[in-house]
Amino acid sequence: MRAAGLDIGSRTVKLAVIEGGRTILTRKTLTSHDPLDAARTLIDGVRYDVIVATGYGRHLLKGHLDCPVISEIKAFAIGAKALRPSCRVILDIGGQDTKAICLTEAGEMSKFEMNDKCAAGTGRFLEIMANALSYTLEEFSKAALSAEEAEKINSMCTVFAESEVISLTAQGAKRHEVALGIHKAIVSRSIALLKRIAPPGELFFAGGVAFNECVRVLIAEELRRPVFVPPDPQIVGAFGAALYATRQAKGT
Amino acid sequence: MNDAVEPLINDEYAGEPPSKRVLAYLQSQRKRGAKIVGTYCGYAPVELIRALDLVPATLCAFSNATIDAAETVLPANLCPLIKSSYGFIITDTCPFFGISDAVVGETTCDGKKKMFELITDYKPMHVMDLPQLPDEPEALAQWTTMIYKLKGFLERVFERTTTDERIEDAISDTNLKIRKMNQIFDYVALDPPVVGWGELYDIFFLAQSATGREMAPLVDDILKKLERRRQDGYIYGAPESTRVMVTGCPVAGDAAKVFNAIEAVGGMIVALDACSGMKTYGAFIEEGTGDPIGAIAARYLTIPCSCMTPNDRRLTEMDKVIERFKPDAVVDVVLQACHSYNVESHKVGENVQDKYGLPFLKIVTDYSQSDIGQIRTRVEALLEMCK
Repeated sequence: MRAAGLDIGSRTVKLAVIEGGRTILTRKTLTSHDPLDAARTLIDGVRYDVIVATGYGRHLLKGHLDCPVISEIKAFAIGAKALRPSCRVILDIGGQDTKAICLTEAGEMSKFEMNDKCAAGTGRFLEIMANALSYTLEEFSKAALSAEEAEKINSMCTVFAESEVISLTAQGAKRHEVALGIHKAIVSRSIALLKRIAPPGELFFAGGVAFNECVRVLIAEELRRPVFVPPDPQIVGAFGAALYATRQAKGT
Repeated sequence: MNDAVEPLINDEYAGEPPSKRVLAYLQSQRKRGAKIVGTYCGYAPVELIRALDLVPATLCAFSNATIDAAETVLPANLCPLIKSSYGFIITDTCPFFGISDAVVGETTCDGKKKMFELITDYKPMHVMDLPQLPDEPEALAQWTTMIYKLKGFLERVFERTTTDERIEDAISDTNLKIRKMNQIFDYVALDPPVVGWGELYDIFFLAQSATGREMAPLVDDILKKLERRRQDGYIYGAPESTRVMVTGCPVAGDAAKVFNAIEAVGGMIVALDACSGMKTYGAFIEEGTGDPIGAIAARYLTIPCSCMTPNDRRLTEMDKVIERFKPDAVVDVVLQACHSYNVESHKVGENVQDKYGLPFLKIVTDYSQSDIGQIRTRVEALLEMCK
């Protein structure tokens, strides 16, 4: 049986198709102004027997495909547990949400915390800050890693932080030190969220921001514990949804 | 709700916002010459108001529509309940405020007490100084004094007086109302339940202004309908719904988006642990003490509001609610910038998770509809934890 999971995030739509426990296809596209169209384009021509949607656009898709939906929190919990059976704590930094999820030994969600309703400390925040410093996302992370000192960024509001970055550069602050300051700000916010649910052990880091090496390094340093990043951290939710679809179909 | 079932209060206001029915009630009271006293909070001692043959009215505080106007004066980063209340007054859009002949406030929080300073010129207004360490020996004496001062204020404004007998009578009327409301709550506690939050709000709203004696025959009729629903096997919501207790700040109007989100993802609200819900009906006022004002003061000081410290009663009362209504999950609603409920949420979360093993979710929100998607995702994940 082929099961598909579709994760309609705020910035990216992700598709994972699995068969016999193996991932046989993944696809991604930008969500754009029309998430439904983006989702349709992504599944166009893809063969599957069952499909489950997740992500903030899940209910939109449910109306068109008549498929079951699960929250992205559950999808990440299922996906992370399958990819890393020892996983007890997940940090997912996506486009507009940051989630910290705590799992029981059996892999059931026991607690979760999410950021406030604004985009502070999320992927979108990093995008805007990179843009304010005229970096691509790849350059942004590399530049931050190369800095010895960090400029302190005090504001976590995306709009105010952007003004802060502009005034720092206007004062002659070094661009890569500002970049490091921004990365530190996002990390300290994520760690505060993690500490609220305070589970022990290795951290499973997922979501698009987990591609950012500087964030990964800073989190490991701050937490003083191992950080595991799956090969494709962005696909964990879609993969979890596909696994859920398989289990539902099998009735387990 | 299933349309086939008869509304619990089957009058011309069935299906309308619950405020319409209570407004009509107040207007009928005005017609008979009664004077209205506007209140904002569960600490307003309504027994004293009634003993002076005055009718209490809860003032508007739950609409996003008046917040823009309020923010021309008040800071944006303030509790939406305070902003909304103030906005209603300066835009003259709260009909309850319009028909009130006097207004009573309490120093429950900094935002409210400073907002009250801005509305003193609209109506005769009295602010009660609420002690916030309720277990200190002097708290009861102070709050009793404040109730006497309110009595003086109301007697002056309305040029009338009252007696201990009449206050005692108002106490027994409140106790009758509490008994009656709890008979309804027995049906909310059923599993599966036969009544939802919307119909309960119809009753709560009317009971803010109507007396216990007026409510009693209506409640008896409601109880008959609820018993019939039970016997007919009627279930409110889906049979497999997750039972949710909602606690925290008052919720109504635009904040009811949280209730709607819970129901939209398959939850069923079985306990409303807030001043806008069941909290008012959690304890009786002692009768026959010979000191009715002292008895009123003693009861009101036990209201487990987060403005009190320490507020262990919040947890002990919540335990009773959990044991009675048997929720599967708990949602704590915190209105933006309500520091006391926000901080207290930590203890609430620990209590429900550690003591009862219930999944817990804190939602910090305001009256705008901008976070409906995020609220829904969180509530959905909470309910997924119950399966």
